[in-house]
Amino acid sequence: MLITGIRSKPVYAPLQPDLGGRYHLMVGHGVGAGPLMRVLADLQAAAPLSRAHTRILYVTDATAAASFGEEMRSAAVADARLVDDNEALLGHLHAALNDSLMGTRLYVAGPESFMGLVMRTALQFNLNKDEIRAEECGTLARRVYCIHCRAVTENVKTNIARCSGCRRSIVVRDHYSRRLAAYMGVMVDAEAPGELAPIKEVFL
Amino acid sequence: MSQADTIAVRVVAVQAVTPHIKHFKLAPETAGSLPAFSGGSHIIVVMQGGNRVHRNPYSLMGSPAQLEHYEISVRRMEESRGGSHFMHDELKEGSVLDIAHPVNLFPLDKIARKHLLVAGGIGITPFIAQLADLHSGNVPYELHYAARSPEHAAYREALERAEGDRVRMYYRSDGERIDFTQLLSRQPLGTHLYVCGAAAIVTNAVEAARACGWPASHIHWEKFSAPPVGDAFDVYLAKSRLRVHVLPDQSLLEAIEAAGVEVPYLCRGGVCGFCRTGVVEVDGELVHNDHFLSDEEKASGNAIMPCVSRARCKNLVLDL
Repeated sequence: MLITGIRSKPVYAPLQPDLGGRYHLMVGHGVGAGPLMRVLADLQAAAPLSRAHTRILYVTDATAAASFGEEMRSAAVADARLVDDNEALLGHLHAALNDSLMGTRLYVAGPESFMGLVMRTALQFNLNKDEIRAEECGTLARRVYCIHCRAVTENVKTNIARCSGCRRSIVVRDHYSRRLAAYMGVMVDAEAPGELAPIKEVFL
Repeated sequence: MSQADTIAVRVVAVQAVTPHIKHFKLAPETAGSLPAFSGGSHIIVVMQGGNRVHRNPYSLMGSPAQLEHYEISVRRMEESRGGSHFMHDELKEGSVLDIAHPVNLFPLDKIARKHLLVAGGIGITPFIAQLADLHSGNVPYELHYAARSPEHAAYREALERAEGDRVRMYYRSDGERIDFTQLLSRQPLGTHLYVCGAAAIVTNAVEAARACGWPASHIHWEKFSAPPVGDAFDVYLAKSRLRVHVLPDQSLLEAIEAAGVEVPYLCRGGVCGFCRTGVVEVDGELVHNDHFLSDEEKASGNAIMPCVSRARCKNLVLDL
């Protein structure tokens, strides 16, 4: 169907420490704490002083079964900020990137839509692939941009969704915009109103 | 690039700008303007000097908005293989030359948040064209320019007038050197570094950048270097069935071209990869001087970049 074989879909990989970096900015959401703690330990083992050059920004996920807030708070780093939602985190991230120096590496771990929002902010600061390590963990629910009314629908789990703006039924493509941090949604029943393919939960 | 793609130009002005550097204005022989280019581009100048043809790359240093003529600057090298002496001694107003179309292997990053330009000596030339582009934008930049002395710093006065405190000069005659570690450890995220000059300043800058944690994608350099000289050796071009002798001060590429065989090229400096040539057989060792092939490819001995690399052998067979 429309949603396969599109190369703009971001590809993430397990986090690895980058010892070439001088400063480390770790940004996570919910279960993203796991990979971040792992990479922090790896960095510490290889370069014992690196914690003094590491900052953490973390969204605690109130709905998660386990909370990693305490671990993140007690990690002995230069600065650790815990916030309640993506928006607050992005504000801190913007400020942190604004006063960061060349030599900084960004580590990102969290669910699909969180990854996209963080990567979009990093892109605005001209961070390149070789300055970012990103691992996806948690829900694959997507941010979807309606190409008809330009509204963004959050937390989409199904192949076909109802647009939060114009209420059209839109099919979710793998076509991804890094600038919008969203997948493209296209009206699915324009030619035969009301005729929809089976709706399934595919982004879990 | 092949001989057919060249443009005939006439030297319309020659000016000595320092004891070692001459500035040339080149206008098209036929009516009309020259091809457009972006800051950082170079052209190849074809020099028919004596019994040897030289093809040397020179950065375009005029404003990319001005295509009535091209401007290049040439430093007279003490140990010239012939090219810079030809440019300094033979070219006069009215001389006609062939040049290859501009190619940019040293462009500015279009979405950088800051540009840090570092020039050593004659390495200032690509930056003069780039500065013309930077004046029309609002991205911050700094130029750090190291030269032997004020007298040897080409275009210093014009740069200081146009750039004010965005240019900083360093004179070896005054014992000044660029402290790269200090400079590169305080740059904001999203800065791109561009270095142009002799091997030493490029190596110092690039090594300091890496030590300060700069990733490769933010480090750009262009090195001025002539193809290294070496022992003479023989080459057999398998497809053309030609035997070619390479002189000690001639590059492998020049020898192949002199035999009438065309090899595609862009930079003639071992970075672009266009002249990559397959090695069929070698009874000695390849001397790789390029920055294009990976260490594994160099070790495998299956390919060579004839613009800067040579062989220490009796016989080399190439897939040409």
